[in-house]
Amino acid sequence: MSEATTWNRIQRSPGTMIGLALVLAHALVAIFAPWIAPYEVTSIVGFPMSPIGTPDFLLGTDNIGRDYLSRLMMGGRTSIFVALVAIAGSVAGASFLAISAAYIGGHYDDIVMRIVDTMLAIPGILFVALIVTGFGRSEAVLIFAIGFSYMPGAIRVIRSHALTIVPLGYVQAARLRGISVFRIFLRELLPNCIEIITVEFALRMSSSILAVSALSFLGLGISPPTPDWGLMIAEAVKTIYAAPMLVLLPSLFISTLVVGLNLASDGLANAIGLDAARGLN
Amino acid sequence: MPILEVKDLKVGYVDVQRQTLVAVDGVGFSLEKGEALGIVGESGCGKSTIARALMGYLRPGGEILGGSIELAGNFVFDLGPNALRNLRGEIVAIVPQNPLSSLTYHMTVGAHLQEILQFHRGLSAAHAKAETLSLFEATGLPEPETVYKRYPHQISGGQRQRVVIAAALACQPALMILDEPTTALDTTTEMQVLKLIKDLRKKIDTAIVYITHDLTLTNYMCDRVLVMHDGKIIEQGQADTIFEQPKEKYTRQLVAAIPRVDEPPKREKIAEEQLGGKLLEVKELSFAYKPQWSMAQMFRAVDSQIVVKNVSFDIRKSETLGLVGESGSGKSTVANIISGLQPPMGGGIYFANELLHPRGEKRPPEVLRRIQLIFQDPLSSLNPRHRVGTILTGTIMGFLGVSRREATDRAVVLLEDLELPIGFLNRYPRQLSGGQQQRVAIARAFAANPDLIICDEITSALDVSVQAQVLDLLMAMQKKNQTACMFISHDLGVIREVSHRTVVMRHGLIVETGETEALFEHTNDPYTKHLLAAAQRRDDSIDQPQFRLNTGSNQPSERPYQS
Repeated sequence: MSEATTWNRIQRSPGTMIGLALVLAHALVAIFAPWIAPYEVTSIVGFPMSPIGTPDFLLGTDNIGRDYLSRLMMGGRTSIFVALVAIAGSVAGASFLAISAAYIGGHYDDIVMRIVDTMLAIPGILFVALIVTGFGRSEAVLIFAIGFSYMPGAIRVIRSHALTIVPLGYVQAARLRGISVFRIFLRELLPNCIEIITVEFALRMSSSILAVSALSFLGLGISPPTPDWGLMIAEAVKTIYAAPMLVLLPSLFISTLVVGLNLASDGLANAIGLDAARGLN
Repeated sequence: MPILEVKDLKVGYVDVQRQTLVAVDGVGFSLEKGEALGIVGESGCGKSTIARALMGYLRPGGEILGGSIELAGNFVFDLGPNALRNLRGEIVAIVPQNPLSSLTYHMTVGAHLQEILQFHRGLSAAHAKAETLSLFEATGLPEPETVYKRYPHQISGGQRQRVVIAAALACQPALMILDEPTTALDTTTEMQVLKLIKDLRKKIDTAIVYITHDLTLTNYMCDRVLVMHDGKIIEQGQADTIFEQPKEKYTRQLVAAIPRVDEPPKREKIAEEQLGGKLLEVKELSFAYKPQWSMAQMFRAVDSQIVVKNVSFDIRKSETLGLVGESGSGKSTVANIISGLQPPMGGGIYFANELLHPRGEKRPPEVLRRIQLIFQDPLSSLNPRHRVGTILTGTIMGFLGVSRREATDRAVVLLEDLELPIGFLNRYPRQLSGGQQQRVAIARAFAANPDLIICDEITSALDVSVQAQVLDLLMAMQKKNQTACMFISHDLGVIREVSHRTVVMRHGLIVETGETEALFEHTNDPYTKHLLAAAQRRDDSIDQPQFRLNTGSNQPSERPYQS
């Protein structure tokens, strides 16, 4: 029943539907890129910097003659993968720490939250850059760095929600049933935080895609020759006066994905938020 | 010429599926100058919607479907925003249920009134202040000069309600709407506020619409009463006639459902002979909130706030012990301590002659099974993600160690005992009404096959007819399972109805303990007498200054952790 009304509300909001469509389009392209991309992304197939509309090369070629459409299609895969894994891990870890801190409280809560405060005092991108320079450029390091830097914010938000659930009767009743802390966490607390966790995941997803692209642009993210939007922008900036489209196209891909994610997650938050508020009153 | 004329009013709400639910269906009444009309009904009957409509306001999604409201010559629904603003405050004023949420935190209460006076009556600042002080005086606020400078959170609940009443009176409105103005207050404070309104009525010529769920209140306050049900007027007439000899079936049920303080209980309790030996013994229980660490502590000693002090009582097998007191009396804290949610600071709890561990988690499962707690708010005591079936079978399997099959069978029996359909096993708590949720919560408590259940204000969130049903079922379950019960309530009528013995608490101390009937019929304790008088809406309950809670001090009388 609740799912149906949430879906109704999403359907009635055009912004959310546009967002979902953009995200879906990007997801499909990213998943099927290896099969639908017309050329091999690393091989030189034409003249360098052919303009848009060149026969055989719909979106032209880059500065060394690789097919730009193919590279654009493949260019999101790595960033999306990195962002997805990093945020999934980050939100999962944050949920565990946040809910347990809210439930257990006391010194444990204090320690977790003071560490969170300390981490929030370090600028995010600087933090990631530090880790990447320290541990080297690899996808695993990137995932770890981004996931880690997004955790403190997520912990704050999820904990504040969990704090409102802990004093409720059903959690107290579970305590008095003598069941283990782990089961209380799993059966009583986590399911009732799932909405806020979903929204956290969706909201942080878009900003972490931006972060991956920014890092690649700075030369701290994905390494060449893997195609990546941020990296492509960094390469094309050198020839921006000769071929501005080489900068604009990957930018367009990044922004459509990020705008789509933002619209979708805002709409989702609204739809779920209203639902949750109705349930409590 | 009546001051208020409501004709065939019809108001609806549009829900998510875009269907219109009719909340008020063809209601019409009129009110003469200086008359007091009570609108009585249970939740969802449309009484608050009427109150708002009289102010020309509807909740989001609301829609006027027909009818008209004529107020002192103005048709409310035809007025523009400016005319409405003048109407509100000058011709009609409202006193809402929760005074704290209707006062702004950043303004002193004096500034609130001054603003109204300057805006609506165009007084100068100095003049407005003088007028404010005289209004504070008229509403019986102690030391008006001091209260003037206080912020809303610094005064008690009763004082806040007085401030809101003073604000409503500021422009001498022709009509004052009181929307459950005393529901959030203690019985003692409630009586003071009611008396105040009654006295003010004699002085000024304001007509009153009094909205409440409590028929005894309208009997005390009003000349005429409308009884509403499902958006329609069921019965109307003189207040005392409706209360003493209701004509309609619905009204009769409503009056019969009110637990009476002044009559012997209608329900049959477990017979005195069937009560067993001592089951629970509480000795010298104490609890206090330690002050939060603050700079002030370095310079002066900060007292910890005593919540419960030296509380001792016992409960026999199958017995019901009533625990009664106003908010802040520590009764809920006692419940939490016994159930193990809150470790006490002193004293001990003996259950079946064994000393219990202060922390619930450390008690053996068998002890946890034998003591069950039922909470005040039924919705938040059931996990919204679990179906009723899961909630019940989970508890049964956890405590009794039976198979899922047997647990389901037992859950079905429990639902039948509580007169709930078996189909509820597949429902989520949110899909049930408040009374049904509370019955599920009772079923969950009895699922463990307990020896003692602790009921913490379990009916105070329910309508009076639903309360009657829940009490019937609870007592039937108790009889069937021979369960002892500690029944906590602020409502003396309910306590008289269910309990064998009664403990009266005040400010964390036990005032009196005794057999319920003896205590209600001829107590000698002045505080108990005072509570009884207040519950019977007797005017003499007010003339006892020693029981006025915190008058003149800045201690709020309700504390946030209390029910």
